[in-house]
Amino acid sequence: MRQLLEFAAAPAILLILAVPAAADTAALERHVDRLAAEELEGRLTGTGGERAAAEYLAAELEQLGAKPLPGQSGYLIPFEFTAGTSDDGSTLALAWDSGGHEWTGVESIQALSFSDNGSVSGGVVFAGYGLVVPESQDFGYDSYATLDVEDKIVVVLRYFPEDLDQESRSKLARYSGLRYKALQARERGARALVVVSGPRSPNAGEIIPMAFDTAVAGSGIVAASISGAVAERLFEQVPDKTLEQAQAALDDGNPHVTGFEIAGVELTLDVKVERETRTGFNVAGILAGNDAQTADKPYVIVGAHYDHLGRGDSGNSLAKQEEAGGVHHGADDNASGAAAVLAAGVRLAGTEHRRHVVLAFWSGEELGLLGSSAFVNGAKSEPTLDPGRVAGYLNMDMVGRMRDNRLTVQAIGSSSAWPILIERSNVPVGFDLQTIDDPYLPTDSTAFNSAGVPTLNLFTGSHEDYHRPSDTADKINYEDLDRVARFSALIARRLADLEEAPDFVKVAPRTDQGGGRDTLRAFTGTIPDYTTEVEGLRLSGVIEGGPAAEGGLLEGDVITEFAGQKIANIYDYTYALDVVKVGEPVKVVFLRGDERHEIEIVPRARD
Amino acid sequence: MTEPHPRHRIRLAMAALLAIGISGLPSAAVAELSEADFLSRVRRLTFEGRRAGEGYFSPDGKKLVFQSERHQGNPFYQIYLLDLETGETSLVSPGPGKTTCPFIRPGSGDVLFGSTHHDPRSEEYQRAELEARASGQERRYAWDYDPEMEIWVAAADGGGLTRLTDERGYDAEGSYSPDGEWIVFASTREAFQRELSEEEAKILEINPAYFGEIYIMRADGSEQRRLTDAPGYDGGPFFSADGSKIVWRRFDEEGLIADVWTMSSDGSNQRQITDFGSMSWAPYLHPSGEYIFFASNKHGFANFEVFIVDADGRKEPVRVTYTDGFDGLPVPSPDGRRLAWTSTRHGGEGGQLYFADWNHESALAALAAAADRSSAN
Repeated sequence: MRQLLEFAAAPAILLILAVPAAADTAALERHVDRLAAEELEGRLTGTGGERAAAEYLAAELEQLGAKPLPGQSGYLIPFEFTAGTSDDGSTLALAWDSGGHEWTGVESIQALSFSDNGSVSGGVVFAGYGLVVPESQDFGYDSYATLDVEDKIVVVLRYFPEDLDQESRSKLARYSGLRYKALQARERGARALVVVSGPRSPNAGEIIPMAFDTAVAGSGIVAASISGAVAERLFEQVPDKTLEQAQAALDDGNPHVTGFEIAGVELTLDVKVERETRTGFNVAGILAGNDAQTADKPYVIVGAHYDHLGRGDSGNSLAKQEEAGGVHHGADDNASGAAAVLAAGVRLAGTEHRRHVVLAFWSGEELGLLGSSAFVNGAKSEPTLDPGRVAGYLNMDMVGRMRDNRLTVQAIGSSSAWPILIERSNVPVGFDLQTIDDPYLPTDSTAFNSAGVPTLNLFTGSHEDYHRPSDTADKINYEDLDRVARFSALIARRLADLEEAPDFVKVAPRTDQGGGRDTLRAFTGTIPDYTTEVEGLRLSGVIEGGPAAEGGLLEGDVITEFAGQKIANIYDYTYALDVVKVGEPVKVVFLRGDERHEIEIVPRARD
Repeated sequence: MTEPHPRHRIRLAMAALLAIGISGLPSAAVAELSEADFLSRVRRLTFEGRRAGEGYFSPDGKKLVFQSERHQGNPFYQIYLLDLETGETSLVSPGPGKTTCPFIRPGSGDVLFGSTHHDPRSEEYQRAELEARASGQERRYAWDYDPEMEIWVAAADGGGLTRLTDERGYDAEGSYSPDGEWIVFASTREAFQRELSEEEAKILEINPAYFGEIYIMRADGSEQRRLTDAPGYDGGPFFSADGSKIVWRRFDEEGLIADVWTMSSDGSNQRQITDFGSMSWAPYLHPSGEYIFFASNKHGFANFEVFIVDADGRKEPVRVTYTDGFDGLPVPSPDGRRLAWTSTRHGGEGGQLYFADWNHESALAALAAAADRSSAN
């Protein structure tokens, strides 16, 4: 290992004195109370609640002595994003020798959220499930192997063949995402992709809901979903089979069953997607370094997202039926992290540190790391904030629910400098630390990792109020939140005083993860505990009334086998979920304490 | 022998029932104990490097000296001093060679440790070990009782490095008396000081630690003398807090079974404390003098756990740790309220230092409730 950590001359005792141990839980309570207040309406990015939270954080930054970032006139840094998509009157027309039909209305034809806008016409090719497994996977399956779809309109089935054995399901499920299918059609020169949920599949014949998609641009192809009725009219032009027969022939996964051209039919598709662009705000301030040469040194960022789910309309709420539509307070997620950044900022402002320290509050995290990604991308054009000049990024996401002194430190694989830094910073604070190497996390640190910045994420664990209105301020553990803030200040301080910036270690991403969100169609109602690397998957809760709860699973249970697959970690579980069938009981083996149990649960469809 | 009187027989049976009932009560209570009864705020102290261990407190409890594989270019342990208030660590040992078994001198704050840095082949050995690890042929960790190992002492900042022993044979495992004037240590020097029989020469090849015995010397290295004289590896000696006693571990001749022993500081009153018939080692007296910490693989060859036993070994030892992986080398703080030990409970091969608050009252209660050793077997 490189000897990166030669410290500046600052005597150690001064460092500790300068990062006071005295608890300031009153300020933390004030921050969380304010951010999680009812009137901030859950701080959904692009709303007034988000704006009010941003103004509050900006005022606190000013108060503690941080200045706006170079090139910025204030603490609020705007970014644009797509707040939602809707269908603006897409139409589909079929024409054949003896007649034709035209459909309008989202019960028959609706854009896929990532579609380009445009009107296209052409002959029709039915391409089965539209699946292509890359050759590298050593599993021959290509729906287009014998088809020429150049300048055609491709009609495919949603999902993947229904009657596969589990191993084949696991292979194909990964490539059944709608975006991936659209990409395959586009790469083969198709003019459009039309998707139908087959009669033998879950959600049979139903229009695919417009998934939340924050991409500002389309995917380079016109893509829409049609109802079963529309598809059946199309298949009336196929002389020898119905849609159901065509699907049945494909469903055993035989790769030699091919699609076919539907001769004599011209399909005209006019897709109109309305994308609503809104503005969100990151909030950031800088605490200047005390070393005359720090202007030349990579700086340190301590950050947390402050946005949340609003009233939970954007698709990632876990609210129970009776609480749906209520304000999602997001006290732990992530008013706790934002409050800890402020508390760390107060400590750092009162101490000398050689490098600049940026305090950052991201918005749009819940919508897909929008704010941090905008910052990382935008920062490339701003010399002072080039990501190449970030020594390290310390993130806090959900740090307010500490139990049993346990704190999870994630992404320590991203630099060889982290272990000694964490060791030294934790000795005075004394957490029971769980360290996890993986830097690919569902939080803002991932945006920095992509830009080659060493990252760390602090996390006190998931819980049953996660993404529900019940994540409220009264459930925060303020004493330990203050210790987390102190720990983060110690790490930031040590990082800021390093002579040489930490190295960046690129951790290889796991390739065996499930496909995109839209391939995850089985709903089990489990809340995985992301903080443990124990053998198996520990549950930090179960969603009331969900299949897991009905099957008898409880918080603290450790799933070791799911649908016949051994579960060693969260990835195995995601992977196993890919391949279970909605409505069919699956065997779950779990440990409760030392006792092994076996139950069956019945997954439901996720739409 | 005549048939016992029937009543007498009944009385015997009742007595046996009573005995079971009485001894059954405390052992039932013991069975319900868990790690949380003794240890709270358990946390990992070290994260840097492949391995760390053997943490020993300074007399004021504010510092911990330990060994860790974290020195650039040297795959072997070096000695570090950790400030428990600030989290700062600093290198004490000179850098090259193998080092082990540090201890802080009461009064001066100097640090003694075993070291081979004076061996001109040190860097060659380091390179060979690094190459072996790089090629994936890492040998399972084994201490090799290097006959070049000698006891050295240095100031806390590594300055004033002074050699205290100068005998061929492994000299290490040293620790100071509470007044800082004496050092007990282990040495295999006997193997190099006299003519060995053919049998003994063979043993030296395979199991050099067989010749390990406990010695004592003044803090300046003078007045070296031997305290033990038994075949098999005697090592790991530490003084009691009042300086009157020494606790150590003694292996059998095969080196498979070890037990905790105590003796007076002049070598008299040698007494065996444990008899699990497994490897019970790394003993350390609690500063109250009431009980001894040690580690044993009673529950499986590779499953070391920490135990405590009353200082005279009259009762059955009480298990302290219940977590998978290695738990050993337990050392209490001078105030008797904290415990440092070495564990692999985070998973993986390399041990790291762990730290917890120690519940002395629970320990006393559990020891009081423990069954008498004579009645247990």
